[in-house]
Amino acid sequence: MSDALSGIRILDLTAEPGFFAGKVLGDLGADVVKVEPPAGDPARRRPPFWGGVADPGRSLLWLALNTSKRGITLALDRPRGRELFLALAEQADVVLQTEPAGSLAARGLGWETLHARNPRLILCSITPFGQTGPRAAWRGSDLTVVAASGNLYATGDPDRPPVRCSLPVSHYHGGLEAAVGVVFALLAREQTGEGQQVDVALQAAMVMPSIGTAAMFRMTGQRGARVGAFMSAGRTVQREIWPCKDGFVSFALRGGPARVPGLIAMVAYMDEHGMASERLKAIDWKTYNHNLLTQPEVDALTREFGAFFATKTMAELYRAACARNLMLAPVNTAREIVASEQLAARGFFVDVEHPGRGRLRYPGAFAVTSDASVALRRPAPRLGEHTAEVLAELGLGAEDVERLRAEAVV
Amino acid sequence: MRPLFAGTTIVEFGGGAAGPIATRYFADHGATVIRVESRRRPDFLRILRLTPTTPGGLDGSAHFAVLNVNKLSVALDLSRPEGVAVARRLALRADAVAENFAPGAMAKWNLDYGSLVRERPDLVMISTCLNGQTGPDRHYPGFGGQGSALAGFNHLTGWPDREPVGPFGTITDSLSPRFAALLLAAALLRRRRTGEGQHIDLSQVEAGIVCLTESILTCTANGEILTRMGNRSRHAAPHGVFRAADEDGRECWVAIAVHDDEDWRRLVAALGRPAWAARPALATLAGRQQHVGEIEARLEEWTREQRAAEVAARLQAAGVDAAPVEDFGDLHDDPQLAHRRHFRTVEHAVLGSHAAETHAIRFSALEPRIDAPAPRLGEQTEHVLLGLLGMEREEFDRLRAAGVFE
Repeated sequence: MSDALSGIRILDLTAEPGFFAGKVLGDLGADVVKVEPPAGDPARRRPPFWGGVADPGRSLLWLALNTSKRGITLALDRPRGRELFLALAEQADVVLQTEPAGSLAARGLGWETLHARNPRLILCSITPFGQTGPRAAWRGSDLTVVAASGNLYATGDPDRPPVRCSLPVSHYHGGLEAAVGVVFALLAREQTGEGQQVDVALQAAMVMPSIGTAAMFRMTGQRGARVGAFMSAGRTVQREIWPCKDGFVSFALRGGPARVPGLIAMVAYMDEHGMASERLKAIDWKTYNHNLLTQPEVDALTREFGAFFATKTMAELYRAACARNLMLAPVNTAREIVASEQLAARGFFVDVEHPGRGRLRYPGAFAVTSDASVALRRPAPRLGEHTAEVLAELGLGAEDVERLRAEAVV
Repeated sequence: MRPLFAGTTIVEFGGGAAGPIATRYFADHGATVIRVESRRRPDFLRILRLTPTTPGGLDGSAHFAVLNVNKLSVALDLSRPEGVAVARRLALRADAVAENFAPGAMAKWNLDYGSLVRERPDLVMISTCLNGQTGPDRHYPGFGGQGSALAGFNHLTGWPDREPVGPFGTITDSLSPRFAALLLAAALLRRRRTGEGQHIDLSQVEAGIVCLTESILTCTANGEILTRMGNRSRHAAPHGVFRAADEDGRECWVAIAVHDDEDWRRLVAALGRPAWAARPALATLAGRQQHVGEIEARLEEWTREQRAAEVAARLQAAGVDAAPVEDFGDLHDDPQLAHRRHFRTVEHAVLGSHAAETHAIRFSALEPRIDAPAPRLGEQTEHVLLGLLGMEREEFDRLRAAGVFE
């Protein structure tokens, strides 16, 4: 009973946008029960599949974001399935869901019903735009909610359309907001004894990722011009992503006094390789202020740093960065991440056994706590893997479960 | 209703974005969040755009102001033992301590968990930095831009034929505070239930990688590397951002996502069933992916003459997933964000009236509030030390005269 959310039962009805919320709450020790229709969640049918074998237990999307959950099947559109769900909800603390606003209520599983059956229950909804308001009924997905958040407009190259991250970052942001909302509601319940509704909007969740720039608009007038691999600073644009010998690195001229020692160290590093010009070595770093540089000065610096990076690999530059305190990082792909010595030293990756399918290496705990209470606790469930187990906790016997199976309720 | 964290005190060391955004979740629900700051080493955001002519100097940063509303500031010079001693008293009195200095900095002052917990056995404390508190690269000094690159977000963002760009806003600086708020809230709940404290070591890079687990598994399971693909999707077509009619001389765009064959039929109907779109070859995802370049060009011919908001409204009415691409100015006129009161207005001594945002969670029985602007550096030193910490006036005056509150 020592983990943060030990003894908290969460019924996870979510589709893909909500997978991450249940996963992080499961990592914190909650008993998260994924509730799928008997045919399985659509994500199980989405490629790529582990080993290229199309199988509901091998979708990498499913496997990635449903760890630390048990899984049952339940036909919520059948009266018996609905009744079983309400019986589970009576004993649960939280229901997580991603259906369009009003859809759960239309199925007889809305807040009034759930609250009447279990006043302590928390209902957390994750939707593109929220439960109420002029766009509550709008459809949305990662691309369109990021479009409506200001973040897309500012991302990309100036001569091309705004561009998104190719994995759905709004689902991670929104999932974390939902998890925070759930724990806040659990804390509130400690005081009041009552559950409540938690309403997370993915659009709104994607405004903060612009780190205050949206809120600053009326002060700065900045609408978010795209500068590609660059960054606006003072009167200039300064390069942030630089090509190197075998890929790209992130490095910046900007920043306050905290960055200056790194710039001095970088020039010394270049000088050891005979690649720091006299002009570069002559810069007075005591008075250096990146906000006061002119564009020709920035361009001259960029040429020198760029020419040096082109002679080095990502790994060489990152080793030097760690040894010399340079604010430079490789633009990692999954390959470099899996091979990281730092992550290995912290025991970050875990090998997870999947019965009948083999072992697979996963990113492990999202944080290290003094009592190791955050952990990837179990592999993503196979379809209906825990149906009998969870129904047995409701008092149903094996025969009852067989009958439900025959009636296609589970 | 009573704010959830009324009576809860959090002491915050560090600065920039990642640390301060995390504690805002608590401040916006009534917690007393006390920033320990100094003039000798000001917060990164107080000086990011500072020039000799910035009005208000260290108190004139708009960026600092929008991220630090609802907080108090105590100025303490931590290069002096008297300053460290006061910081220690504050930390020991708090319900939780949050810090995002480089690893080892807190230990240098004996303000690390191992030191504080001896006097405060149920301490809840979170330390967050790029690479975590342990491991050979723990002292690596990067900021959010480097964190995003290390965690794999930059590689996945941009056009396949160009250099990566990274999502605007250094994404580990916005993901990690959400993890931190979750971890702190969970630790407070756990202490309430068990009486036990906790130290949390949050590596911003690791937390980011956990988000991108799908990319890691694609590598560890199949040896494949996912990469950036512009706005296209492996699972949907068309899926992109299209130029709409210019407005006020500005380029405008609309995002359209067709997730399945039924969506495509709806889109074709909304377009008025032109011959190019009605071709059977485009009725399936495989067919649309094969002709995706042509579909995108044709769609843009249609969107180019209309206002982005009109295209989106029209497609939404037809049941198609679409939204205008809003810039940071547009967000202040967005009807949905207005409905959710995402932005609130505060009055700042230097900057005047300005907007600040609260989190994206709305509760039926809790209300996030923004009651106070971001503090000027050291603005509440006296209030906090005399009022909350119970320091005697005589000691306060002596320390102030000695320059400890700088």
